[in-house]
Amino acid sequence: MERSQVLEEVNEIFKDILDNDEINLTDTSTADDVEEWDSLTHIQLVVAVEKHFDIRFKSKEIQSWNNVGEMINSITEKIQ
Amino acid sequence: MELNSLGFLFFFVAFFILYWFGTGGRIKLQNILLLAGSYLFYAVWDWKCLFLLIASSAINYFLGIEIGKTENEKKRQVLVWFGVLYGILSLVYFKYTNFFITSFIDAFAFFEISLNIHTLKIILPLGISFYTFRTISYILDVDKGKIEPVTNWINFFAYVAFFPCIIAGPIDKARTFVPQLEKKREFDYSMSVNGLKQILWGLFKKVVVADNCAEITNHLFADYANLPSYLLLLGAFLYTVQLYTDFSGYSDMAIGIAKLLGINVTINFNYPFFVQNVAHYWRNWHMSLTSWLTEYVFTPLSIKFRDYDKWGIILASIINFVIVGAWHGANWTFVLFGFLHGCYFIPLILRGRMNKKIPKIEKLPNGKELRNMVATFLLIMFTNVVFRADSVSHAFSYLAGILTQHFVVNVADIEYLSLIKLSILLVIILVFFMLEWKGRAKECPLYVILQNRSRYLRWAFYYVLIVMIFLYVGEEQEFIYAQF
Repeated sequence: MERSQVLEEVNEIFKDILDNDEINLTDTSTADDVEEWDSLTHIQLVVAVEKHFDIRFKSKEIQSWNNVGEMINSITEKIQ
Repeated sequence: MELNSLGFLFFFVAFFILYWFGTGGRIKLQNILLLAGSYLFYAVWDWKCLFLLIASSAINYFLGIEIGKTENEKKRQVLVWFGVLYGILSLVYFKYTNFFITSFIDAFAFFEISLNIHTLKIILPLGISFYTFRTISYILDVDKGKIEPVTNWINFFAYVAFFPCIIAGPIDKARTFVPQLEKKREFDYSMSVNGLKQILWGLFKKVVVADNCAEITNHLFADYANLPSYLLLLGAFLYTVQLYTDFSGYSDMAIGIAKLLGINVTINFNYPFFVQNVAHYWRNWHMSLTSWLTEYVFTPLSIKFRDYDKWGIILASIINFVIVGAWHGANWTFVLFGFLHGCYFIPLILRGRMNKKIPKIEKLPNGKELRNMVATFLLIMFTNVVFRADSVSHAFSYLAGILTQHFVVNVADIEYLSLIKLSILLVIILVFFMLEWKGRAKECPLYVILQNRSRYLRWAFYYVLIVMIFLYVGEEQEFIYAQF
């Protein structure tokens, strides 16, 4: 799967979980850029991403992400 | 040597002169002086435990370097765990050994079995809860690559022992503190003026508000069985104000002193009573501890429990707050205090409101905001009774007394309560909170209040605060958080 397609699918998951159709993620997006993205919804986002791509992240990996791009990197590594 | 004592004033003036004028602005000399001053400050309190502080610093210093060098993931994890366990076990040994022994004896006594075990004579090393959290965060951050290992031992040891913060925080992380020690510090006039303002405000909070509240609450909490419910409520209210002004007053002084040395220490309180719910309160109360636990306990746990959806977050919250409570000391009251706060989060989590961003109140709160503020304050006040009580049964009796002791006493007959003194104190508390409300946009209200008015008016106000500190000084009380 192309990296851009992964980003697009993650964007859809964010829209769905955070109930906000105006979300437009880029590699540099962080929780500060999205109003509804807080530590509580973050966990729900992680679970939704794992289910969607049928993957499992390591705890340390999740905590190491600084922005959406790093999350996409983790996903693409796992689905290839 | 309390931060509000004359002894400390002499020590600090001498230190300040040496630091800025005796070192010729050389970073290395300033850092050596910081370390020497911190050890001298610590030794005056507790010279025997200084060796433990040095040993902890040395162990974590070498561990940090070793973790940075080790590429083998397994070996690295062993080193990280060694550092974390060393910190936790030293806390457990010094703070909780006797608590475990007495709880064990009590548990057997419940089944009428008497055990012939004695408690141990262990002294609690000053500031151990604060400096141990500093070293643990350093080890975890080196492991995660959030900070390079500190190779200059003077800087690392000075970070662990930094005297304004060693007794009661704030708990700075190495990744924000150590880089400041590596940079050239030049005397900054406006930063120093802000530091002095913050010290003045901290002193006012501690000496005028907290110590005068303590004079009353000490009696009310001891004599609770003979008091009517309205005086018990007064006790709970005054203790909540006392705990805030005592602890945040200390933090203000520590932050102000650090500013005079050209160092920015992390903010610890952000007007925690002007909040809309308990989660909002914890984002503004003892922030350096809360952010520590959020990063190293709550987040990893909530990730671990992520398959259980909101219930996983609830479990992580409760564990997190039981640790917050137990961190304060070896008493079931603190555990219960933490557990209750964890439970306060349940409705917030279930309704998805735990971390919702809350819009700032521009001038005055509307009806709903005011209601939320008062309700949150009452919840905090209720758990602070548990926090203050000597034992869980004391806490329950006190709280039951609020509900059941419906009789009237003549306050004039209570020898330790003077109506005039109490009225003055309540007026001071009211004015104090009005000033805090006015200045809430900045770290310290004095940065804002009267800043656009004439210099004379501003200085007149500062003199009023200073005169009150000298005139209205309460019975000197040890800082509450110095015992943790």
